[in-house]
Amino acid sequence: MVSVKFEGVSKRYEDGFEAVSVLDLEVQDGEFLVLLGPSGCGKSTTLRMLAGLEEVTEGAVSIDGVVVNHLPAGARGLGMVFQSYALYPHMSVRDNMTFGLRMAKGTDRLPDKEIATRVNETASMLELSDHLDKKPKELSGGQRQRVALGRALIRRPKVLLMDEPLSNLDAELRHQMRQEIRRLHDELGTTTIYVTHDQIEAMTLADRVAILNKGVLQQHAPPLEAYRQPANEFVQSFLCRHLDDLVETANTLLRPSEEGA
Amino acid sequence: MISHETVRRWYTPVEVSTLRRWLLVSSVVNVLLLSVDVLRGGESFLIGVLGVVFIGALVNSLPQEQHPSSRNQALVLGGAVLLCGLIRLLSTPMSVFDLWMHAWMFGPGALTVLWVSGRPVSAWSTRSLSVGAVEYGLARNQSLGPRFQAFGAHLVLLHFVVLTLLPLVWIFDIALSPGNALGGSLGGPYTTEHFSNMLGSEAFWTWMRNSLIVSIGTTLLGLVVAIPAGYAFSRYKFTGRDVSMFAFLLVQMFPGIIILVPYFLVMKSLGLLNSHLGLILAYCVTALPLCVWMLKGFFDTVPRELEEAALLDGCNQFQVFTKVVLPLSIPAVAVTALFSFLAAWNEFLLALTFNTSNDMYTLPVGLASMISSTGQAWGDFAAASLLVSLPVALLFLFFQKFLIEGLSAGSVKG
Repeated sequence: MVSVKFEGVSKRYEDGFEAVSVLDLEVQDGEFLVLLGPSGCGKSTTLRMLAGLEEVTEGAVSIDGVVVNHLPAGARGLGMVFQSYALYPHMSVRDNMTFGLRMAKGTDRLPDKEIATRVNETASMLELSDHLDKKPKELSGGQRQRVALGRALIRRPKVLLMDEPLSNLDAELRHQMRQEIRRLHDELGTTTIYVTHDQIEAMTLADRVAILNKGVLQQHAPPLEAYRQPANEFVQSFLCRHLDDLVETANTLLRPSEEGA
Repeated sequence: MISHETVRRWYTPVEVSTLRRWLLVSSVVNVLLLSVDVLRGGESFLIGVLGVVFIGALVNSLPQEQHPSSRNQALVLGGAVLLCGLIRLLSTPMSVFDLWMHAWMFGPGALTVLWVSGRPVSAWSTRSLSVGAVEYGLARNQSLGPRFQAFGAHLVLLHFVVLTLLPLVWIFDIALSPGNALGGSLGGPYTTEHFSNMLGSEAFWTWMRNSLIVSIGTTLLGLVVAIPAGYAFSRYKFTGRDVSMFAFLLVQMFPGIIILVPYFLVMKSLGLLNSHLGLILAYCVTALPLCVWMLKGFFDTVPRELEEAALLDGCNQFQVFTKVVLPLSIPAVAVTALFSFLAAWNEFLLALTFNTSNDMYTLPVGLASMISSTGQAWGDFAAASLLVSLPVALLFLFFQKFLIEGLSAGSVKG
């Protein structure tokens, strides 16, 4: 079953700049897709078009087989984690997480009791139970990131969107959160689309990567396949050469200590 | 290793470095005072000029290390400055003002003589100090330096405080002195008759009522218009956006007096003379541009991602504004409200022109009417002006928290 589908999707701005051109991409149900590319390659625009924050110029974006081009963002059943967390500063952690649930109207509105259970569940899953009544500014960077994640997950989204969620964290936390995100995905099985410019994040998190450059899809494949069989020169230099360089650096750094041991 | 020679070269007694700064300040102040003195017809102008020249020379010839003659020179110059100051002081009637003015000259002179002849500077400038003495001196510098600096800073700031408080003290004095004279000198008998006069007069309360209606009306109407306008300017792109933002500013650049007559004619044809609504509308027009610009500036600092998060949480555009942006903007809204309230509360010209009947006077117009060609009730006037400032002072106290938050805007990102 296909969960998300881009069919010939393009995004052109008023000044004529084409951020994404004729993108065809499928994301399977339960898959973890990473959109990878240098800055300005159109990966964030792609994500924002799916989220409904950016209008689609051409083509069709569909979720679960329904074209959502003109559906308001809130109606698409998505959860999104922003790079700057974008937590509401005037609300407690609890209110931040439940805001979306409380905004729902009519039959979609869950009873308060159900909302309360979900908050507690989500909070304990993300180790936030002790912080539910704090304001975002009282939390550390990693905790804020977890609240943002919780806010997205609490609605049981059809698709979870993450826009460079780790780039504001330090290296240690980034590593930790990376594992946590993958663990959550394996537990919940939520279809996830993750935008990053970091090759390591892409390699470690993704079921499949979609590598973009200048608005054009370069390769769409499982990470190891992309690494072993780069589709073109760009993938070769952006992904493979970069990873090889990393490995080589690590080897040079470690060799003397190995000899010593 | 730092050699002793280096340490020695770094050491200058704190008195010398402090004198260098203070003498510089006093020379500037003395030049200013001298020009004031000439304007009010002071007599000892030449001696004053001489004193300033001496101070200038002194700044450039402060004592130097192991240089006895430089010390003697500084002593002589300091004495000369002291002498100039004293001579000028003796030629005046020695009022408090004279004493203060000439203290700026004889004070620095006396201080120079005192410090340069003192042991630390003398020893440093006449002979080679032992390493122990230099180390002691450095420690002394470290403890005394900040104290001298604080003293100097406070002395300068004290002048500003006195300058700010003097009119206030004066008006309190007039308000509390019996009789309706403008002069009033500190001390003497005090009375609260002016206050009870004003509080007991019906006219005062009518003016107060008018002022409150107009000011609160202006604030509310202004906010209702300025908040959405500021948000639209901050977030949406539309035809004529930049032009209208500039037009807003353009209106502000006209001096009020130019549009006074057309304004009056418009109000007359609308039948809004001698009404609260007329003033409210007029004040809104003048206060709006600044309010809109201030709010736009604040809304600009609310990250767009917050609004996007709210959109994904199922809000529509209006809910994004009311549930996320507005609660974050309370400080800015408070500042804006205070601003339009103050503008309306203090406005005089339009109120004087539009509302000519006694029972429609606002406080500023009412106050002015107390000082007429037929009688000047300065005592009542002073009491009334204090009473008028009271609500504003209270507002500021109440809004202080918001004001500070509003001014340190941009901390939204948390």
